[in-house]
Amino acid sequence: MKLGGFEELVLLAIGSLGDDAYGVTIKEILKEKTGKNPSVGALHSALYRLEEKEFVKTNEGGATAERGGRRKKYYQLTAYGIKILQEANELRMSFAQNIPNLKPQE
Amino acid sequence: MNPNPHIPKWIERLLESVLPDSIAEFVIGDLEEYYALHCEQKGRLMARVMMLWSVLGVCFSFAFKKPRSNSNYRTMLKYYFKLSWRNMAKQKVYSSIKIGGFALGIAATLLIALFVKDELSYDNHYQAQGQIYRILNESTHPEHMERWSAFPPPIKSALENEFPEIEKVGRLINFDWFDAGDNQFRPIEDKANIYENKFVYADPELLEILEIPMVFGNHSALDKPNSIVIARSKAEKYYPGEDPVGKQVILNEDDNSIYTIGGVMEDPRPSTFLQFDFLLTLAEEEFWNGEQTSWGSWNYSVFIKTGKGADYKQLEDKLLVVRDDYVIPYNRERGDQRADDMAQYYQYDVQPVNEIYLYSDDTHDNLQHGDIDIVWLFGSIAIFILLLACINFINLSTAKSANRAKEVGMQKVMGSLKSEVVKQFMMEAFMYTSIAFILGVVIALVSLPFFNVLSDKSLVLPWSEWWVIPGLIAFLIVISVLSGVYPSFYLSAFKPIQVIKGNLSRGAKNSKLRGALVVFQFATSIVLIICTIVTYRQMEFILNKRIGFDKDQVILIQGANTLKDQAKSFKNELMRLSTVNSVSYTDFLPVLGTKRDGNSFWKEGNRKIDKGVGAQKWRVDENYLTTMGINLVQGRNFSSDMASDSTAIIINESMAEELGLEDPIGKRITNSFEPVFHIIGVIEDFHFDSFKREVGPLSLAYGGFGSIMAVKFTSGNTDQMLGQVHEVWDEFMPNQSIRYSFLDDSYALMYDQVSRTGKVFTLFAVLAVVVACLGLFALSAFMVEQRGKEISVRKVLGASMSQIFTLLTSNFVKLVIIAIAIAAPVGWYLMKQWLSDYVYRVEITWDVYLIAGASALVISLITISSESLKAGLMNPVKKLRSE
Repeated sequence: MKLGGFEELVLLAIGSLGDDAYGVTIKEILKEKTGKNPSVGALHSALYRLEEKEFVKTNEGGATAERGGRRKKYYQLTAYGIKILQEANELRMSFAQNIPNLKPQE
Repeated sequence: MNPNPHIPKWIERLLESVLPDSIAEFVIGDLEEYYALHCEQKGRLMARVMMLWSVLGVCFSFAFKKPRSNSNYRTMLKYYFKLSWRNMAKQKVYSSIKIGGFALGIAATLLIALFVKDELSYDNHYQAQGQIYRILNESTHPEHMERWSAFPPPIKSALENEFPEIEKVGRLINFDWFDAGDNQFRPIEDKANIYENKFVYADPELLEILEIPMVFGNHSALDKPNSIVIARSKAEKYYPGEDPVGKQVILNEDDNSIYTIGGVMEDPRPSTFLQFDFLLTLAEEEFWNGEQTSWGSWNYSVFIKTGKGADYKQLEDKLLVVRDDYVIPYNRERGDQRADDMAQYYQYDVQPVNEIYLYSDDTHDNLQHGDIDIVWLFGSIAIFILLLACINFINLSTAKSANRAKEVGMQKVMGSLKSEVVKQFMMEAFMYTSIAFILGVVIALVSLPFFNVLSDKSLVLPWSEWWVIPGLIAFLIVISVLSGVYPSFYLSAFKPIQVIKGNLSRGAKNSKLRGALVVFQFATSIVLIICTIVTYRQMEFILNKRIGFDKDQVILIQGANTLKDQAKSFKNELMRLSTVNSVSYTDFLPVLGTKRDGNSFWKEGNRKIDKGVGAQKWRVDENYLTTMGINLVQGRNFSSDMASDSTAIIINESMAEELGLEDPIGKRITNSFEPVFHIIGVIEDFHFDSFKREVGPLSLAYGGFGSIMAVKFTSGNTDQMLGQVHEVWDEFMPNQSIRYSFLDDSYALMYDQVSRTGKVFTLFAVLAVVVACLGLFALSAFMVEQRGKEISVRKVLGASMSQIFTLLTSNFVKLVIIAIAIAAPVGWYLMKQWLSDYVYRVEITWDVYLIAGASALVISLITISSESLKAGLMNPVKKLRSE
């Protein structure tokens, strides 16, 4: 299974948000960390793909008034999702080690 | 403000249709949350913009991702297509009638659309569009309302000096006058003369005003006296491969007409009002002493370029200064009684350059014109023919509905929705129209050359232009919808229970609407037939009316002016030929494109008392009357033996009447600038102008000369006569080939427009009738098929052949008769309008309607009778055996 660059970011965001990961919060944290504001369409189509690839699992709930009574879809990493993140991370690290001035900060 | 703003419902629905169902709710929820948040932070408007932007993003991201609830969507499309195809292939006759009729209609519409577009495209190419105008004279006098383009020469300086908003003024002489018109032409180095026409005089400024593109030289090419600008094709003809600027040319072997080429211009584009090949400069030109400063000789068309944003309607009023300060005082000073009329009825029109071609049919300006009425007429004919074709489609589709009813019933029983059945039939319509459309475009392309001959144009389908392909596709969609909507909804509305029980009134339903549509088709056809007959009659009338002169057996030898002193002996040589009756040397002939000379005449001594009579004064010789076959009513012809005939004049009957002369012979009349004439004869009125105008006063004065020899030859061997004339000419002018035309051809050419209109009507009338009959044929075939059993039972019970024939045809005949009743007044009205342009015209007699109606009736009877006869002759057993 391939993991795209933006998809990886979204996965990381979901992981770091813990139990509170749904559309709005994911978008907010991405905006905060990357400084770029992803569009709603791009974000949701990434989420849709992640779900299809079973990197995330979902549960529904938390309807509020400002959502017009609609429920939220909460996202959580699956074990498979964590594994794929790990792989991506290792790949990155293996490259980073070979670059003299790019050492992970201890 | 609404405390809790929501996303509009339609956006919600849009999103639901785009998003996969599993996440739609949550995405919309997110959007709503953002919306609420942004409303608080950034205000409602900004929130709205951001929301719409996000929605757009969502739509793009998820487009085509939604799994269709109806997963066999594509299969169904394929199935619709296959069904349509099979239906089409099964009924070859119906299908080809549907498609063929449609294709004809589409082809006609395309051709007409090209024609209309071309007519409307005249003079739209200027950079300074909206600043270029022509000035016209207008008389609003109730007895002679008219517009004309000619002004006196000093108008130029008057406009330049008194109107700051006018930047440039350029005059033009575009009729046969001194060197304008046609000439024998040669570069000064060459020997042989070649005939060229399309010479005009122009002011140097005109090049710039009309933005004439130059190949060699620039817009100052006409600045020097005696310079000439020639068109590119002529430069290539006489100076192939070189820059001819500075070269000299000579016209008509006349040493006074030597011109120096100042520049070469591009050939005028086809869609501009002024078609000419040679521009002679007006710089420092004066045709006679004092001409340029006289307000009395009206020969110059005037074009102006105004400053940006000048209001040309206001200019019209301001221009009256010219009338009040120059024209009227000039006439007052000379005691002209028309000065008072002028103050009251004479004014100016400022006409934008792009209206010159289409909107000047009523203007005397010696230019080729289109006619906005014809554009409208053709446009509406195109729409009607297209409608006829659409109606065929609708009629045939609904009539054949019974055959499709079971199919629709079954589909519905199996759970098909009405919308799906509609979709199917729309698709079928689209398929039919697409095929017809392609066929129609092919027909249009193939027939374009013929249509070009008919309409005297050089039209092409401009494939390379950006709008053509989208335009055609849009056209295709419009006609598909137009012809597909009604049948689709009609066919999809069948109730399955009724269909399957079998008590659907098999296609007979809605016969009222079908009847109305047939009536419409035939009414249109009959109107066109009426128009055809009337235009043809008018044409016949013009060509065969007693016109007062004999146009047959006369040839006009052109270019005789280059004979100079030898003209007289050439004429005498011709007269000696056995095949020649008489020869007249004159430029004044009763066909278009020859000289005219408008004058005012008064009875001697009356010049300061009354307004005088406007009349033509033609210079002719003593052979004119015999050559042209004009009848002398009173008095005598000119005679070369009487010296006093230099002041003799012959007038026509209407001139005698307008002058109020009971016994005109011997009376003396005067125009203001020549010696007093004495009348020696009166001739019968003859048509020397278009049939659109009344025969006016005309006088003949003695002294023929000019460029045309009119030769009346004996009936019989035309070839022999031409051979002899050739020989004589070659003796006199070895360096110049003879050029001649037949008077009757030139006469017919004047009415080219009428004959072309007639042919176009014929074409469209035939088309309309064919399309209507195709439809009628299919309808009658269908009716016969439907009533097959009924007919068989009638036959078994003893009905005769004729009874069955009557039964089957009477219905349609009724419809055609209603159509005749509707068409007659419409056709009458249209043709009355058209004929009102002509002073001399045919009456629309009752037999026009009779012929039109009868032919429509006969054609429709023939169309339906083949099927009806087939039904009548059929062996009844064949139909009845199955039950």
